[in-house]
Amino acid sequence: MLQHLFALMWNKKKQHALLVIEIFFSFMVIFALATMGVYFYKNYRQPLGLADKNVWNVSFTNGGNVASADSLAQFYHNLQLTVASMPGVEDACYSSFNIPFINAMSSTGMLIGNTSHQGIYYFQADDHYNNVLGMTLLEGRWFGKEDDAAAHPPVIINEALRKTAFGNGPALGQLTGSDKDQNRMRVIGVLADAKWAGDYMPPHISMWTRIDTAFYHGVNIMLVRVSPDADANLEANLYKTLSNAMKNANVSIGHLDDTRDSIDVQYLMPAIIFMIIAAFLVINVAFGLFGVLWYNINKRKSEIGLRRAVGASGWSVSRQLWVETLILATFGVVIGLFFAIQFPLLHVFDMSTGVYIAALIFTILFMYVLVTICSLYPGRQAASIFPAEALHED
Amino acid sequence: MLRNYLKIAMAVLKRRKFFTFISLFGISLTLAVLMVATAFEDGVLHPTYPDDKGGRILYVNSIHKWHQTKGFLTNGAASFFFITHYMSTLKTPALIGFVSNHTGTNTYVNGRKLSLRIRFTDQHFWDILGYDFLEGKPYDKTLIDNGGKVAVISEATKEAYFGKDKPSVGKYIEADNVQYQVIGVVRSDPNTNIFSSADIYLPYSLSKVSLDSKDLLGDYTGMILAPSRAAIPKVQQEFKEMFARVPVDGKDYDHQAAYADPFLVTFTRQLYEGFGGEGPYRNPREGTGLTYFYLGAALLAFLFMLLPTLNLISINTTRIMERSSEIGVRKAFGASSATLVVQFIVENVFLTLLGGLIGVALSLLALALINHSQVVPDLHLTLNLTVLTCGLGLCLFFGLLSGVYPAWRMSRLNVVTALKS
Repeated sequence: MLQHLFALMWNKKKQHALLVIEIFFSFMVIFALATMGVYFYKNYRQPLGLADKNVWNVSFTNGGNVASADSLAQFYHNLQLTVASMPGVEDACYSSFNIPFINAMSSTGMLIGNTSHQGIYYFQADDHYNNVLGMTLLEGRWFGKEDDAAAHPPVIINEALRKTAFGNGPALGQLTGSDKDQNRMRVIGVLADAKWAGDYMPPHISMWTRIDTAFYHGVNIMLVRVSPDADANLEANLYKTLSNAMKNANVSIGHLDDTRDSIDVQYLMPAIIFMIIAAFLVINVAFGLFGVLWYNINKRKSEIGLRRAVGASGWSVSRQLWVETLILATFGVVIGLFFAIQFPLLHVFDMSTGVYIAALIFTILFMYVLVTICSLYPGRQAASIFPAEALHED
Repeated sequence: MLRNYLKIAMAVLKRRKFFTFISLFGISLTLAVLMVATAFEDGVLHPTYPDDKGGRILYVNSIHKWHQTKGFLTNGAASFFFITHYMSTLKTPALIGFVSNHTGTNTYVNGRKLSLRIRFTDQHFWDILGYDFLEGKPYDKTLIDNGGKVAVISEATKEAYFGKDKPSVGKYIEADNVQYQVIGVVRSDPNTNIFSSADIYLPYSLSKVSLDSKDLLGDYTGMILAPSRAAIPKVQQEFKEMFARVPVDGKDYDHQAAYADPFLVTFTRQLYEGFGGEGPYRNPREGTGLTYFYLGAALLAFLFMLLPTLNLISINTTRIMERSSEIGVRKAFGASSATLVVQFIVENVFLTLLGGLIGVALSLLALALINHSQVVPDLHLTLNLTVLTCGLGLCLFFGLLSGVYPAWRMSRLNVVTALKS
């Protein structure tokens, strides 16, 4: 039966070519959308890994008016103590410019064993940093006074880098770089992954080093953890304190959770616009499909009437139309599959195969549901054709 | 004859209301989406406020330095030194001015926080751009040289700081612990105007960044007002010759480049340079990238229109085949294929224009909604003449494209088969 219908549809391939092309294009559009959706959802479900609430990010233009490196470090150290001791402030720290949720990253390479790892996000942080940002330590500890006298500078890595670089082996205490390397660093801690680019992007392999006195020449970020009841008065106070201390600087205070919202919007907005456009395209195609099916049934009235006359039930007539439509859709879906399967095979984007497979399954289901809905009404209409009437008309 | 065709078209449209609805739905929404997109392109990439000089302004927004073999590469905005020492020697331009990148700061009014974007400018900035002064006036050369602590603020800043209907000129606004006297209020421009929009404008003499540096890279964007649009190539040529004489900056570099570009080109050039350059270290590519930008935009629009067009073709084919008996009769009475093709194309263009009309109404509605919601603050999108012409052109293109194939298939219809059905 199915084979017979398949042959029937194949014979009319020229007539249906346009519809097949349309189904193919809609397939690709939905596939792109589904891939994006699955990717975002998969990332969204992962924990954030940061306590961004009640963290304020202060950025300032560096005055740099203190001459020696040591006194500059002393100046910023005192400023940090002043801020941290303000009522309503829990802790304060300095960080490199790449704080969470802003669109700026610095990356570096690292040699571990004999393998070189490239594209590691690279952060500089002080001893208070994790107390402010509230990331989870899986192993080891955060930077502290005891690192002052360390033979090898300490480095903290995240879970993702740990997996890439050390696999299942131990990471704590391991040295980076080769034996000949001057600047070997010792791993002292492993952090749980944090979604640095907001809720919809995956964590990235990352490492943190401890800031040294030279760092203060270019410092322009301070992160401040405040108590949950902090208000605009505290912010105005903090602002006064900072701009009084740094006479030559432009100071600006932001809230980390607002920054997170804005980066989320930045990733979601294009997806939403694409979704609206895709929805419009699909509605368009659905209408077209519906119209053509409807017309076809009107044209085939006599054929259907004849079938009814020889005893076919209304249900079997509409089922035949439905299966025909499904077969038509299958032609489009198969062409679409051929192209879609290239994405995971050729690794076009940096996404896991699982994402593509989930997206493909969703897309196939979606296309069949769509054509089913489009064939429902024409099918019912066909079922209600009276044999006598149809045959009389001819 | 044409009137006859239109009458037939009307009758046909009315007869199959559902098909008419599908066609109109597709055409009108496709065009509405495209027109909203063009309005965005027009509003963001060709701002008319505050640039009221009709595209005579050129921007020098970045200087590239690189080393051909070592691979060092850096770029940044121009320095005060570069603008005052080199750019000011240009002869052709009507005016040369500059404006800094914006820096952020906060100010606090009655326990409320305001985030302010500060820009430092010279006096010519106000002559090159045509800001509407709602109150007061801009600062001049004397005020700048005297280091007067004066500020021009935007309408939005004024409303937030002083209140909506209160006069603000002569009053003081505090930013970074400094009191500035307000001497002017300008109508706000959207922050998509990346070289000019700010909340508070200050004379460059108040900038905290030292102006003594002899580096070419700094944080200013140079602005050049060409005497006329026609003179733009001449200005660019003179800029190019001038820049060729500027000694290479820094010992790590052996090449440098800078351009005086119209607003749109400042983006396209950046994009184009990014697509990998020549040489072992991907030195920046030379070229404006404008052609590629338009090609890309056209390709996107084409891809977007592909599905609705295919849909229209298949619907039109269905509609026309439905009328095969009418075609048969007309053929039998001696109508040539050409006549019939023309008739069906006219019908289709008529339908498309009708859809276009609805599309215009829809896009007006969408633009009103977008402007009202203030997705981009102070960005005012309008359906201007360029956009409308675009829309009309697209309509006709659409109409012809989706009319030709079905008409051609219909014209090949055999009289006998047509009459038989």
